[in-house]
Amino acid sequence: MTRETMIKNFLIFSTGLFLLAFTLGPFIWMLWISLADRADFLVTGKVEYSFSNYYQVLSAHSLHFLDYLTNSLIISTITAVVVTFFSSMAAYAVSRMRFPGRSFVPLLILAMSMFPQISIVGYLFEMFSKAGLINSHMALILPYIAWTIPIALWINMSYFTQIPLDLDKAALVDGAGRMKVLYKIIFPLALPGIFSSALLVFIACFNEFLFAIMLTIDYTAQTLPVGIALFQGLHGEIPWGNLMAASALASVPLVILTLIFQRYIVAGLMGGAVKG
Amino acid sequence: MNATKITIKNLAKSFITFRGRVDVLKGIDLEIEPGEFFVLLGPSGCGKSTLLNLLAGLEKPSSGELYFDQELVASATGKFSGPFERDISMVFQSYALYPHMTVEENIAFPLTNLPQVPAPEVMSAKVRETAALLQIDHLLDRKPAELSGGQRQRVAIGRAIVRNPKVCLMDEPLSNLDAKLRNEMRAHLKDLQKKLGVTSVYVTHDQLEAMTLGHRIAIMNNGVLQQVGTPVEIYRAPINQFVAKFIGSPTMNMLTGALLEENSALYLQADGLRIKLPEATAASLRAKNLKQITLGVRPERLYVKSEGEQNLTLPVSVIENVGPEFLVYSFHKQGQIVVRTPEEPTGDNLNLALDAEHLHLFDEQGNRISC
Ligand SMILES: Nc1ncnc2c1ncn2[C@@H]1O[C@H](COP(=O)(O)OP(=O)(O)OP(=O)(O)O)[C@@H](O)[C@H]1O
Ligand SMILES: [Mg+2]
Repeated sequence: MTRETMIKNFLIFSTGLFLLAFTLGPFIWMLWISLADRADFLVTGKVEYSFSNYYQVLSAHSLHFLDYLTNSLIISTITAVVVTFFSSMAAYAVSRMRFPGRSFVPLLILAMSMFPQISIVGYLFEMFSKAGLINSHMALILPYIAWTIPIALWINMSYFTQIPLDLDKAALVDGAGRMKVLYKIIFPLALPGIFSSALLVFIACFNEFLFAIMLTIDYTAQTLPVGIALFQGLHGEIPWGNLMAASALASVPLVILTLIFQRYIVAGLMGGAVKG
Repeated sequence: MNATKITIKNLAKSFITFRGRVDVLKGIDLEIEPGEFFVLLGPSGCGKSTLLNLLAGLEKPSSGELYFDQELVASATGKFSGPFERDISMVFQSYALYPHMTVEENIAFPLTNLPQVPAPEVMSAKVRETAALLQIDHLLDRKPAELSGGQRQRVAIGRAIVRNPKVCLMDEPLSNLDAKLRNEMRAHLKDLQKKLGVTSVYVTHDQLEAMTLGHRIAIMNNGVLQQVGTPVEIYRAPINQFVAKFIGSPTMNMLTGALLEENSALYLQADGLRIKLPEATAASLRAKNLKQITLGVRPERLYVKSEGEQNLTLPVSVIENVGPEFLVYSFHKQGQIVVRTPEEPTGDNLNLALDAEHLHLFDEQGNRISC
């Protein structure tokens, strides 16, 4: 090994280690505290490990953890499905059809997502109050759809434009109608993009805080991030163990989803379509 | 056999872009006979693919009409039928195979779209028969990514012929293959078209492909048809300088200059090169009373001759040995002049003879002067 490659390897290794520590550190810290019986164990030195925090979070009715989780899952799933459906259709249209001003559509949509959330949440509250939607699932699903669709469209568009136009033409010539071209040829090939946008939208909704705290009032509609943040308010002191156990549980659905989807989000599905 | 005649009447196509209107096809008139192997030949960007897309029904004409047999299939304002109603199939330059389907599914795909989808056994038998014809029946379970270029090309052709279309359109189907495979597939394709008897339109910018494949060739430039005819007709009597230069390899030698009469012989004076025109050519040129012409002569029609009647003398610049013959290059102000000869020439100069029958004369506009 030359000096140069040694230095290179050292740099790669140390940066990798740093990044790993940086991202995993807080997560491990969280797990550690959630398993300890008291949060100040580093100071006092006395500690016992158990799953009692988890048991409390899941069983204590007053904490409403399972209500928050259900709300989060319902809202995020519905948003992800609706957004994925519309954004993939739109991406197909924008990447395939020729209409005047086509190249401005993505820019317009991106511009929409540039408004800070805080600048619209007040108006949303007023609007939903009038419509009687405050503290319902709809109060979050609707703004979430509007908020995530631009990024989903961008992701999908980058995948759809990679699919050669000749494939559409070939399928049309082979006698398939526009819809059949879409679900037999284009969608199967754009699946990695569709899955990654669905996953991103789901995660974004699952973690969202500002809309959720402003537009919902109690556990019938509140989502996990809001619910966990409210733990402290209910009990006066800060229940670190419970908080961390709830946070650890909250990340479980995301980890599972990512594990399921990641094998679909692989490149190389396009191989052999055109010459190459 | 259900061979179809294609009639193209004054067909034009323009695209509207941000930079304005682009006229890609400017009034094409053409008749393609039933069962004919028709080749569209032209340089890159001349509108070949656009014309093919119009025939396919993937684009709408800006003006003009298109008939399949007696039936109007496309006009600018009235009727327009899509690719499937026209019952055409197409082979793309990029192959355009469906990457997520196996070879079998790719070839079967057109069958699954028929109004009456055949029973699975019938379909599978038809796919197998087509694959056997193209010698790819051992590859049916593979995905396109697992095939070589030539095999992918065959799959694309299989997909195009599996449902016996009325018309088969091919857009530079061989241009992504290497030279050896291209020759092989060319012969295969010609044989296949003969067996199937389907009216075929083949787009290429390779003049050799056009000459070897086509019953007739149409040469296009800038969206305008230059000449339509059999390969022999076009080779023997190109209608203008563009066609003359486009067909034949090495390209036809061209010399432009003034005509002058001396000692009762007619000479062409082209930038320091003096060419004595054969008597028959001279006679008809005198009758036309022209001042300036372009003389075209193919490399194999410049005969090396050491004695007797000689028409011009060329300084030799480079000699290339290309197997059975020699190519002699002479660099001239108007471009290089090439002579094709079976014997290796000696000396610094080459004495050449012309024969009147194989000279091509063009006027100042580049159009053929008939003699
Ligand atoms: N959709 C379009 N919008 C604007 N211009 C176009 C469009 N399609 C084609 N053109 C233009 O029309 C001309 C002819 O294109 P076409 O694809 O028919 O050429 P071609 O003869 O097939 O060339 P090649 O041999 O390179 O494939 C080109 O100059 C091209 O830029
Ligand atoms: Mg083309």
